[in-house]
Amino acid sequence: MKVSGSYLITVAQQRAYELLQDPVVLGKAMPGCDTLERVGEHEYRMKMKMVMASISGLFDGKVRIADLQPHSSFRLIVEGSGKIGFMKGDGLLHLIPAEGGTNVQYEGNVEVGGTIAAVGQRLLDTTARMMIKRFFEKLSAEAAVSATSSPAAKI
Amino acid sequence: MATITSKPETLVGKRIRRREDPRLITGTATYLDDLKLPGMHHACVVRSPHAAARIKNINVKPALELPGVVAVFTGADVKEVGPVPCAAGLPGLRVPHHHILAQDRVYLVGHPVAVVVATDRYIAADAADLVEVDYQELPAVADPEKALAPGAPAVHPQWPDNVAFTFHQEGGDTAKAFQDAEVVVKQRITSQRLIPTAMETRGVVADWKAGEKSMTLWSSTQVPHLLRTLLAGMLGMPENRLRVITPEVGGAFGSKLNVYAEEALMAFISMRIGKPVKWVESRRENFLCTIHGRGHVDYFELAAMRDGTILGMKLKLIQDLGAFLQLLTPAIPTLSVLMMPGLYKFKNISADIVGAFTNCTPTDAYRGAGRPEATHGIERMVDILAAELKMDPAQIRLKNFVDNDAFPFVTATGLAYDSGNYALPLNTALAEVDYASLRREQQQARQQGKLMGVGISAYGEICAIGPSPATPAGGWESATVKIEPSGKVTVLTGTSPHGQGEETTFAQITADELGVDIDDVLVIHGDTSIVQYGIGTFGSRNTAIGGTALYYALQELKTKIKKFGAVLLDVDEVTLVGGVCVDEKSGRSVSFNQVAAAAYRALKLPPNTEPGLVATHFWEPPNFTFPFGAHIVVTDVDRETGQVSVRRYVAVDDCGKIINPLIVAGQVHGGVAQGLGQALWEQAVYADNGQLLSGELTDYALPRAHMMPWIESSHTITPSPVNPLGVKGVGEAGTIGCSPAVVNSVVDALSPLGVRHIDMPLTPEKIWKLIQEGRA
Repeated sequence: MKVSGSYLITVAQQRAYELLQDPVVLGKAMPGCDTLERVGEHEYRMKMKMVMASISGLFDGKVRIADLQPHSSFRLIVEGSGKIGFMKGDGLLHLIPAEGGTNVQYEGNVEVGGTIAAVGQRLLDTTARMMIKRFFEKLSAEAAVSATSSPAAKI
Repeated sequence: MATITSKPETLVGKRIRRREDPRLITGTATYLDDLKLPGMHHACVVRSPHAAARIKNINVKPALELPGVVAVFTGADVKEVGPVPCAAGLPGLRVPHHHILAQDRVYLVGHPVAVVVATDRYIAADAADLVEVDYQELPAVADPEKALAPGAPAVHPQWPDNVAFTFHQEGGDTAKAFQDAEVVVKQRITSQRLIPTAMETRGVVADWKAGEKSMTLWSSTQVPHLLRTLLAGMLGMPENRLRVITPEVGGAFGSKLNVYAEEALMAFISMRIGKPVKWVESRRENFLCTIHGRGHVDYFELAAMRDGTILGMKLKLIQDLGAFLQLLTPAIPTLSVLMMPGLYKFKNISADIVGAFTNCTPTDAYRGAGRPEATHGIERMVDILAAELKMDPAQIRLKNFVDNDAFPFVTATGLAYDSGNYALPLNTALAEVDYASLRREQQQARQQGKLMGVGISAYGEICAIGPSPATPAGGWESATVKIEPSGKVTVLTGTSPHGQGEETTFAQITADELGVDIDDVLVIHGDTSIVQYGIGTFGSRNTAIGGTALYYALQELKTKIKKFGAVLLDVDEVTLVGGVCVDEKSGRSVSFNQVAAAAYRALKLPPNTEPGLVATHFWEPPNFTFPFGAHIVVTDVDRETGQVSVRRYVAVDDCGKIINPLIVAGQVHGGVAQGLGQALWEQAVYADNGQLLSGELTDYALPRAHMMPWIESSHTITPSPVNPLGVKGVGEAGTIGCSPAVVNSVVDALSPLGVRHIDMPLTPEKIWKLIQEGRA
């Protein structure tokens, strides 16, 4: 399934770029994310809870960041699997300075398999959209928090 | 000795209520999951979430650590167990080795990778989640045409073209037919993948008794004896030490005409742990791991003259086989080819089948097994031809039917149709719907902008499968009749009924032949230690073959009863009337019970006669039977929503003589329900990466009771000369006749918009789009 869209974060480009690669921030912003720990350069281990349709389950996964073009773009690769199946996401994020902050444009692919595919496929589209929206909302909130705590990062 | 008046009433032909129903509808029947054995363990299968992947590592340790878990087995443990068998032989067929647990690679979503055994079902399920399998994903292909395209991912790396077999059949001179033709119509027609969805999923209990070196295996199957033979082979154990018992089976429709990995797996586990073990398939597993049906892409060409005379037919059939070959997988499309002539007299046919591997669930027999696909194609093509020639679809059929005096009619595919009067059911159905006034009504409706359609299908089918040369494992059937010393009658049938009602129909036949009360007859089936070898239940064969075996066993017994009767009356000859042996000269008689008792007491034996009243008969049919019929469907299509509603459903079926009209009606209703399911709603949907998207009943549109139209069912009766009962079979007729009638009806409704063909299922979305395009 292809996903694409954009979201305005109310911080400057460089700060947005840093936030989007900060494991603490990512861990807080990713819906259902239990833990996110760094295991290598731009590579993290993640445990998250996935809820879709009538099924839910824990996912063990990996988050990787690649193709870094500071501070304008990078690729986010998420893979997870658990008893309800597996999911793979691969997205390219572009950060474009905009009025009031930074416009994050994303496009990518989400693939699911196993029970999630068999049972939840119909809801995958809306679930993915919802999760992406929540992600950016939380990220914005984190940005606001960090903005208050660190005045230097303000626009 | 008393004179008893004979019992004149016969039961064959009467609407006798099914004797099996009280236990089924009061919850007192024993299904597989009702079985509880002392010390019984439970198994849960770990299955692949990937359609194609290499297994890099399996870590079973976390599962084994869970209290209550007894064992976890993986592919390495079961290497010695023989492969899941494919019994269908075709020249050059490529049969992938089908291990009961994946070895180093998985080929479809749901592929069994490991099995967890625990003391409790819930522990087993929890532990299955703890098995860690490390997969390296590989590219997959889920569509048969894409699988055959150059550069497609290879399902089995050793066969990069994904072709399991090709098969060609030809009859007559098709090239000449197409040369002589004034008109040729062509159409690509699909019969989508369906999920058989029996109400009861599959299940197995295996109980190995090490001391006795013998195994009892309960399985929800249609073929207990074949399962025993094949399973014994897989396990390398003597067949006579394996007992297969079929408890109550809650529907099968062909999906349990198979030997599955889990059957061998449970037997293997029970031998390893020395305890009985149970596995019951979940619905999600059922959708992934029990065979699917259909899965055809057919390219049809029909050659005809301008007056509507059909000259010949060409077919290129692409069969989606799935990743493995189950028991009959490659044989199913060959049945489609056999059925290609339908009810028509043209004698020129050319067919090519390509069996394509895909990373999907294997396809195999599902109600109709190859014949619905063929009939759908033929009956669509005849309508397309009629539309091309602007002929009436009823007239073009009547013009091309095999003539009544042409039977036995030898088809271009080499079959000998046994008997038929093909115009009769069609004319009966046309009269029933008042065809002429329906067409007038349709004209008026069209003037008002309404979309109303009338669809006809005239179907034939191959039943009573089948003569042994035409089947992979013998096509005969067996029956034993035992008259017990008290006069009670026990029938042991080699068939394995699971909804077809033979506990009733076979009791009717027995009661009539012996002249006993139907309540004195008990029909037993589905236990290989009690019942003599049999073939099982599929292909509308129970009554025509199993019933005939029973009939002949009963004749043998009647001869013996009369011998004992004559001895008891001290005469040379008696007649058997209503169970009573009568000496016509004196009028003296002996009752059935007196004869039965005397046969076992054995004080006075007739010459050259052994004590006891038991007869066994194995009957080999000389031919298939060929039922036929006509279905007419009137539909209304909602322009705004694309919704199809079936206003009338008229089914006139000819299944030869009818033993029990109530049971035949049930078969027609059930068959039509599944035909409507295919025509309108059901579809197994795979994503390109081999993920089954319609993996649950919420996503797979099975017909519900409220979606069913009223079915106006009636019959014409053309007895079969193949068997003494004159019966043909009706188990699959409803399904075969249904889908083309529905699609023809909807295409007829949409024809003013320029619609010529629609592939099933006719979902509102699909119809709505066509209406929008037609409007534009």
